[in-house]
Amino acid sequence: MRENCVKRTLCCAGILFLGLLAFSTFFPGESPAAEVQPDCDIQSGGCQKTLNDRTIELEILPRPVKAMSDLTFRVRILGAPLTGAPSIDLGMPGMNMGRNHVKLEKNSMDVYEGRGVIVRCHSGKTVWQATVNLPDAGKVIFTFDVVY
Amino acid sequence: MLSTNSIYIIFFTTGVTIGFGHCIGMCGPIVVSLSLQLKDKPSTWPHLFYNIGRTLTYGFLGAVAGGMASFTRFAENFDGLQKGAMVAAGVIIILMGISMAGWLPSSVIFRAAPPVGAIVNKTFSQLMKKKKHALMYLPLGMLLGLIPCGPVYTALIAAARTGMEAGSTASGILSGAGLMLSFGIGTIPALFVVAKLTNLRWLKHREIVYRIGAILMIAVGIYFVWKGLTF
Repeated sequence: MRENCVKRTLCCAGILFLGLLAFSTFFPGESPAAEVQPDCDIQSGGCQKTLNDRTIELEILPRPVKAMSDLTFRVRILGAPLTGAPSIDLGMPGMNMGRNHVKLEKNSMDVYEGRGVIVRCHSGKTVWQATVNLPDAGKVIFTFDVVY
Repeated sequence: MLSTNSIYIIFFTTGVTIGFGHCIGMCGPIVVSLSLQLKDKPSTWPHLFYNIGRTLTYGFLGAVAGGMASFTRFAENFDGLQKGAMVAAGVIIILMGISMAGWLPSSVIFRAAPPVGAIVNKTFSQLMKKKKHALMYLPLGMLLGLIPCGPVYTALIAAARTGMEAGSTASGILSGAGLMLSFGIGTIPALFVVAKLTNLRWLKHREIVYRIGAILMIAVGIYFVWKGLTF
């Protein structure tokens, strides 16, 4: 009787595990954070956010912003000058896509530019985020839709 | 700029974290399918060969991306091949599921299949047989390594970047391959853990699990085919 109970429990655990794995295939890397909505319409133009006494504007060119194509990331800093060049980390909300780092170089007084690629995710989700890292000043996150 | 050795270590570590965070979701069902399909056979060597095959493909892709020194040029050339690999993976998983459920013997599946070339046919016929050779999982792993995957693309961007920074095409090929091999090796522990967890040899009455597993494999296979066609 007790042996049967153990068998049934183990059987259920095995089935549950397989079910979870199947679920993870259909919704890979899914987590509550993946529900994040875009806060920036990058397809229409630059997006602005403020951090302390600075306004940070992110623009991605060419538009439409497409995955798997060469893109130019342009960051404009309005306010106090930075101590160094900012950089961008690209990723998906709630999904570990590996480190996709874009180095930016000073283009003019307050504009920094760099080249990068947004990759495609097999989940079909198109919401991406760019984390703009400002040396000694913190970071701002822009969340937007890309075209696959 | 980072030294070559530190890049390899970074990408090995990235592979480990991506393995446990992302690959389990993407490649997990494939690994589970292989484990279930092995049924009562030892699974260590087949899974080792599957992972070696997958890692070799990553190394090859890294060499190409490093040699081209451009990720987007690489992606344009490999897009069709990767979609085809996803469809092929789906078909293989469906066939494994059908064969495992015992609904159709493997010999019948392959007799009914269109001629796909003697080597491919022989390899997959071997995979479906009850007595399998562990080495048969090497070409399977090599094929499945082509499946499109976000973190692999991200690592390939870095491989292409090392190619850009390399002095010559040859050193770009070598550094790209090295980086992707490091990344691939890093992803192995997570998939090995999944393989070991889904080896049900310890379970006495496991036929019901195999039946449910077969249905799940077919569902996963259909999903892969659909994704390959629409991705």
